[in-house]
Amino acid sequence: MIQVFHVTKHYDRRPALTDVNLQIGKGEFVLLMGPSGAGKTTLLKLLYCATSLDEGQILIQGRNVARLKPSAVPYLRRTMGVVFQDFKLLPKKSVYENVALPLLVQGLSTFETRRKVMEALKAVGVDHRKESRPAMLSAGEQQRVCIARSIVNSPIILLADEPTGNMDAALASEIVELFKTINARGTTVLVATHNRQVIEQVGRRVVALDQGKVVSDEGKGL
Amino acid sequence: MRRLIHFVREALANIRLNRTTTIIAVATTAFTLACFGVFLLLYLNLRAMATSLQSDFKVVVYVKDGTPPPGLSELQGLLKADPGVQALVYVSKEQALADFRAQFPEESHLLQGLGENPLPASFIVTLAPSRRSPDGVRRWAERFKSTPGVEQVQYSRDWIDNLTTVVGYLELAAVGIGTVLSAASITIIASTIRLTLYARRDEIDIMRLIGATAGFIKIPYLIEGAMLGVMGSAVSLVMLKGGFELFRARLGMPGRFLGIESGVHFFSGQVAVLILVAGLVLGFVGSLVSVLDLGRAKS
Repeated sequence: MIQVFHVTKHYDRRPALTDVNLQIGKGEFVLLMGPSGAGKTTLLKLLYCATSLDEGQILIQGRNVARLKPSAVPYLRRTMGVVFQDFKLLPKKSVYENVALPLLVQGLSTFETRRKVMEALKAVGVDHRKESRPAMLSAGEQQRVCIARSIVNSPIILLADEPTGNMDAALASEIVELFKTINARGTTVLVATHNRQVIEQVGRRVVALDQGKVVSDEGKGL
Repeated sequence: MRRLIHFVREALANIRLNRTTTIIAVATTAFTLACFGVFLLLYLNLRAMATSLQSDFKVVVYVKDGTPPPGLSELQGLLKADPGVQALVYVSKEQALADFRAQFPEESHLLQGLGENPLPASFIVTLAPSRRSPDGVRRWAERFKSTPGVEQVQYSRDWIDNLTTVVGYLELAAVGIGTVLSAASITIIASTIRLTLYARRDEIDIMRLIGATAGFIKIPYLIEGAMLGVMGSAVSLVMLKGGFELFRARLGMPGRFLGIESGVHFFSGQVAVLILVAGLVLGFVGSLVSVLDLGRAKS
């Protein structure tokens, strides 16, 4: 599903990732662990083509992302859902409209969009807030909306960057349960976190990064 | 259809979001287009006048006094048969005198002391359009000057030609001024769209991350630019119409201009629509200039 070969990435000559190798199979739930600056976010950004790599190769479903034409990038992104620590919701749009956006860009019918959006909102438990603007929601609710948006088009890969970053333990636990449910439906999930509680709660494969290098890969194949 | 609604809604949202810059852009575009519009009005009216004068242009063939009726008929036959003659009207000596008295009643006493009618008979010739060029008229007149029974061939088209030349220069100037002002409009709208893009850069990033193509992101901004252009040109038309009516009322010439019966006219409906379309195109191009930068940005 995801294959990372000898990937190196620099920001202003400072190495963010150095010779990273990683293989993630279909339906796996992988946690990327490491302190701030370890390279977790950079690795995720490389996977959803938000930045380009300096060396190495990344294959996603057999497609080499380094060789993708810019015009092909949106279509690759449509096969994955991305959950951000800062949610990245459009403030002037309602919860419903935010979640519907990935379907709108794909040109789905109104009927199909409504069905899928309501399904996603129910799955994360915020269907009762569909008319609200993001600013009217709590951090936990906003993160749920972000997750709903990331799963609304049934992606084959879900990437999450510190999804529980600013949440208390109870809220973080709820979000982790959501990811586990999504993974149970067959979606490959890759979550970047430095939260020990999340790692323990998931209890799956943990890839540890430090100073841009993979320092351990535990629980592979579980 | 759903996408189109989304694009238009986004464009309107952008306009609402940057209300002040939108007003400034529309006003500046309107003033710029109005400047060009004044020039266009002048050009179109002068051109219409030149065309009208060209079509009214007549050559007078004066008949020698004492030409017998057979000679007169022969001359009339010659003129009628000439391919350069479109229409021909005979004015007898008596008719010429009557016309003079009718046109200049205060000066009619000048002829009273002469006893005999001094005015010659004449043929008023309307030349075919193909013969109305300065050279064509001169050649035609030269040819008939020496025809038996002809006293003189008179025409005065110097000032018509001068007017035609001026209209020609105006046409060139219109192209020049139009180009400069169009560039100004494009720049103004491009700057407005750039401000919108800057204000919505986070949203644009989010749209990219959820898989929106460059086209999907750009289209609302192109629509916004086109809307600004149309609004600017509509406001300029309103300004021009107001100014035009004021000008006409001031000069008190509802139907005449420089003695020409056709008078001055505002833009026809067709030209007004063309101006709106021009505004739309300018706005679209201005927006396109800005969103090209967006395309160059990283996907």
